[in-house]
Amino acid sequence: MKRVLDQIVENRVFFLLVLFVILFAVFAISVQNFFTFYNLTNMTQYGVELGLLALAEMLVILSGGGGIDLSVGSMLTIVAMIIGVLIGRVGLNPSLAIFLGLSAGMGMGYLNGVLVSYTKILPFIVTLASLYVYKSLALIIAVDPRFGPNPMPVSNFPESFYFVGQYRIGGIPFQVLCIFIPVILLLYVLLEKSVFGRYLYGVGSNEKAALFSGINVERVRVTVYTLSGLLSALSGWIITSRIASARPDIGTGYELQAITIAVLGGVSIKGGEGRIGGVVLGIAIITLLYNGMQLAGIHQIWQLGSLGVILVGSVLLNQMLLARRKM
Amino acid sequence: MTNTGLRRILQRREFTVFGLILALVILFSLTTERFMSVSNLSNLLLQLAGTAISAIGMTMVIITGGIDVSVGSALGMASVVAGKLLMGGYPPILVLLASLGVGLLIGLFNGMLIAWGNIPPIIATLGMMSILRSLMYQLLGGRWISGIPPAIRIIGLGKWLGIPISMWVTAFLIGFFTYFLSSRPLGRAIYAVGNNPEAARISGIDLRRTTLFVYAVLGALVGFAGLVYVARTGIVQTNTGSGFELEVIAAVVLGGTSILGGRGTVIGSLLGAFLVGIIKNGMVLLNVPALSEGLVIGVLIILSVMIDVIRVRGERI
Repeated sequence: MKRVLDQIVENRVFFLLVLFVILFAVFAISVQNFFTFYNLTNMTQYGVELGLLALAEMLVILSGGGGIDLSVGSMLTIVAMIIGVLIGRVGLNPSLAIFLGLSAGMGMGYLNGVLVSYTKILPFIVTLASLYVYKSLALIIAVDPRFGPNPMPVSNFPESFYFVGQYRIGGIPFQVLCIFIPVILLLYVLLEKSVFGRYLYGVGSNEKAALFSGINVERVRVTVYTLSGLLSALSGWIITSRIASARPDIGTGYELQAITIAVLGGVSIKGGEGRIGGVVLGIAIITLLYNGMQLAGIHQIWQLGSLGVILVGSVLLNQMLLARRKM
Repeated sequence: MTNTGLRRILQRREFTVFGLILALVILFSLTTERFMSVSNLSNLLLQLAGTAISAIGMTMVIITGGIDVSVGSALGMASVVAGKLLMGGYPPILVLLASLGVGLLIGLFNGMLIAWGNIPPIIATLGMMSILRSLMYQLLGGRWISGIPPAIRIIGLGKWLGIPISMWVTAFLIGFFTYFLSSRPLGRAIYAVGNNPEAARISGIDLRRTTLFVYAVLGALVGFAGLVYVARTGIVQTNTGSGFELEVIAAVVLGGTSILGGRGTVIGSLLGAFLVGIIKNGMVLLNVPALSEGLVIGVLIILSVMIDVIRVRGERI
């Protein structure tokens, strides 16, 4: 028993795996229609949008120095609106519009990164400010002068635009197979196998040491914030395609859920600690939980509450086991 | 001959914010007719009170090096409880105590998780934020509360000497907590904990009790702000208070409190709350679309902190 407890403290991924298996078993036994091919594949699409944001938070929080990105929800929203307006109102070619939207996401992330790295303002404050700015810009973009001064959603897309969010390949949602899984694999290589990954963990766990060993700390940080912008932008594109509408309030509140999942996945809020495997499991657990609760007929409002309980509970358990071992 | 006293005032962050407020007041009173009217100013104060009261508590939490993102949900929770009791015809004093109590309980819970559970503040309060929002939906059952009896609305809308009662309460609280933070041992301990927890511990400060105290006070103040909110607007919705946490944090940060802890004043936060309130109000009067409100607030946060960075050079703000 003691060995198992030690494992849980030592190895977050193992702990999450146990949690995942337990949850899965509980739902498979007690909830009707849960353990079907359709449901299991179908539910993965709901994990993609929040999952991409959680991966963004993972990168940023790993970089240390108080790293956090409160603006992911706003970046998602503004990219959704850019793509929506360019296609639906300007009539631009969808591929070009998507390219511009993703570039805008990267640009906004880059701006966050530059402000964090070169002005010495803490990430919390920079991204709090950009949360407001990007959200406000999204609202301004959403105004269609033809219909008065209020922000309006866009929903007249060509059929081809829905491919990403609504199509399946062999029963598996397109966005899972062709975007989410490749993104995870790429990030895995980046974090675990590349020089950049080692730099990132170095910068996150000990900035001074990283600096003295010749790592360009600023460049590493700018890169992760830029990636955070790109991942948020991808999420904005996918969500717009899935719900067939670009809405100017779509990403509100996502930032805190994304941070929650990253932390649940074992990313230390202090930086430099946490593995992508943990975060992916965190995403899987939350997706599973939301789906299982929905099928069990538990009202949607409890999704948020259970997320909170799991977050606080898992961190508390971790701290208690840690304290016990020290005694 | 240099006047060091004056220079010190001029160098303070509060002075920068005050200068900004003054400039905006002049700008808005020249460009709009209604800004300086009694009805507009008292309306402005009414809307400010809740943010300002919560910002007092948030200032103390941030001075200790913490953060509380659950205040929006806590405000919602307190409004629901206050609204339900008011609709049930309970006496106002009981409703007041209940709102304070709900807030206090939430704050105590946060404080316990952080101080005894060793959970980083942002994580503990993130969790609480989601849990409270779910509980609040459950209590409301998806419906609104509206038609709050007029007796209580005096807290939200009543005036004494032309100034809203909620603003008098705010002024009293600001005065009290300024004195408390600068002159009481526990007040000084709050700064000590934020500056250097280890040194504070060695000099005999109880870290856990200090932490518990600041979150509990913030909770109670937010509880009160919840009652003020219900009394002012007369309705409670399921999304009441969402986004409020960021507004309060923005006011505190604008007011010069360092997010790293150890530095800040409640007067600064009051000024921060005023700055945000005046911008919102003035933009409405100028017929600038409300959409650009966030743009202005965001740019202002960056600018005002940057001025500080240039001034203090080197230190992270």
